[in-house]
Amino acid sequence: MFVTKIQISSFRNIAAAEIRFNRRFNVLHGANGQGKTSVLEAIYLLGTMKSFRLAKTPDLVTWNTPHALLRGWAERDGVGREIALYLGKEGRKARVDQKPVTRLADFFGNVNAVVFSPEEIAMARSGPDLRRRYLDRAIFSGDLGYLLLHHEYHRLLKQRNALLKRGSREGLDIWTNQLAEAGTRLMVKRMGYLAEIEPLVRRFYREIAGGEEEAGLAFRPHLTAPDQVAREGTDALLALFGAHEAEELRRGTTVVGPHRDDVDFVLNGRVIRTHGSQGQQRSFVLALKMAEIEYLERLNGAPPVLLLDDISSELDPQRNANLMAFLREKRMQVFITTTDVSTLRLEGIATHASFHVSRGTVTPS
Amino acid sequence: MLQSSNSFARLLAELQKLPGVGEKTALRLAFHLLKYPENTAALAESLGEVLSRVKFCSICFGITEEDPCRLCSSDRDETSLCVVEEPQDLLAVERTRAFRGRYHVLQGALSPLNGVTPDRLRIAELMRRLEGGAVREVVIATNFSVEGETTALYLARQIKPLGIRVTRLAHGIPLGSDLEYVDAATVQRALEGRSEL
Ligand SMILES: [Zn+2]
Repeated sequence: MFVTKIQISSFRNIAAAEIRFNRRFNVLHGANGQGKTSVLEAIYLLGTMKSFRLAKTPDLVTWNTPHALLRGWAERDGVGREIALYLGKEGRKARVDQKPVTRLADFFGNVNAVVFSPEEIAMARSGPDLRRRYLDRAIFSGDLGYLLLHHEYHRLLKQRNALLKRGSREGLDIWTNQLAEAGTRLMVKRMGYLAEIEPLVRRFYREIAGGEEEAGLAFRPHLTAPDQVAREGTDALLALFGAHEAEELRRGTTVVGPHRDDVDFVLNGRVIRTHGSQGQQRSFVLALKMAEIEYLERLNGAPPVLLLDDISSELDPQRNANLMAFLREKRMQVFITTTDVSTLRLEGIATHASFHVSRGTVTPS
Repeated sequence: MLQSSNSFARLLAELQKLPGVGEKTALRLAFHLLKYPENTAALAESLGEVLSRVKFCSICFGITEEDPCRLCSSDRDETSLCVVEEPQDLLAVERTRAFRGRYHVLQGALSPLNGVTPDRLRIAELMRRLEGGAVREVVIATNFSVEGETTALYLARQIKPLGIRVTRLAHGIPLGSDLEYVDAATVQRALEGRSEL
């Protein structure tokens, strides 16, 4: 899969840009806040209609302009597609090959993109939110059904919270049943994904760290246990909601459930958030990203495009070299932003293009 | 010019209250209305007519000019009742010609976020109709959204103790889609394959 060209207008601080990309490595360099990450975000939006920066539509549109427009030309298995995304007051509208697309399923997957950002390096030592957000994003990039299920769960959660806020029991058990049902399916998908990528993470971690340490991913469903969910199904969550109903009515919100799930990153049985060195944490996240790419490649028959947002400054020279070696071998298209080109290990990479990004203007350099 | 014309500004404001109409569209519509005064007069007349004549049927709560509506006063099958969210959903099911029973319009779906609790829907009226004893099957055709599904489950629980069979339009209609926008063939297939709740 390749993105060969992109046109951006009125998007974030980019008034207008047209960029022709290299099929292998693309380096976007410039000072911070100039629009480098916005180019990556535009590519990601063309794949998923969503931002990886937790942004709402108005944040994406240049201030004082009515709407933003993104157009991308992507190629997959020799077939080219033109993807257009309109972001404006009337919401987000998409066209593929100039035909309007109404179903997310028809849009999804034309560009498969994986992001690697400093936020993800931070997740090895942060609270559960970043890890859960990462897990959700990783799963839905290969499974549209998961995205819809995730929406469904959160819509149910909002409705149930609204009812709890009114202090009303009228119909509460039905919303609770629905939430438990969707929540259980969500947890089962999370467990399934983690089981798929754990062996890959283990292998890549060994390759990076070179030792005998065994990496693992331990799913931590909120206030319950994976085997309990597997054994009892929806009953596990129903029991949990039942036990907290009085508290939830008092506080006017849902206090337990999969929206608070976590996953532990483990080395030799020890959680690295608390017991790992900074080096181990970085190697782990790197192995996790490699596993995610490998998984998507197996699933789709072609590797995704990789968006590396200012990663080289977060990884030490050794791990940068590990990553570059992996990417060279993968023959995948990579987009790299950096403030300092000298930190990139581009030796041995013959084909690359580089662009300078300054005050929203992108120029080949 | 716009500032000096109060009635024009009011028209723009009213148009913008319509679903899917933004500032630009309102402006385009308003100028169009001014350009073709005869059509506009006919539209104004029709709006007035709708307001004075069209009301909700006192039995099914669909829209009608006569009360009860034609569907309710016809000789259609009284043993089968189809429950929908909105009057336009009734039309969507009716277009399939696959359903020969009667209808009940809830005028919404449960949504605590929007303050829609069971007492805000036409559920009490539905229960009174069912207690009449003629209905043997209720087909729930609420939307396949989170709210529509929850409403269906809520209704099933209320209705089942009456010993009435409750079925749900089978899936095959994509989740989150409004019945109104699904083509007739899809709704027809769903009607044929309805499942027990
Ligand atoms: Zn009627």
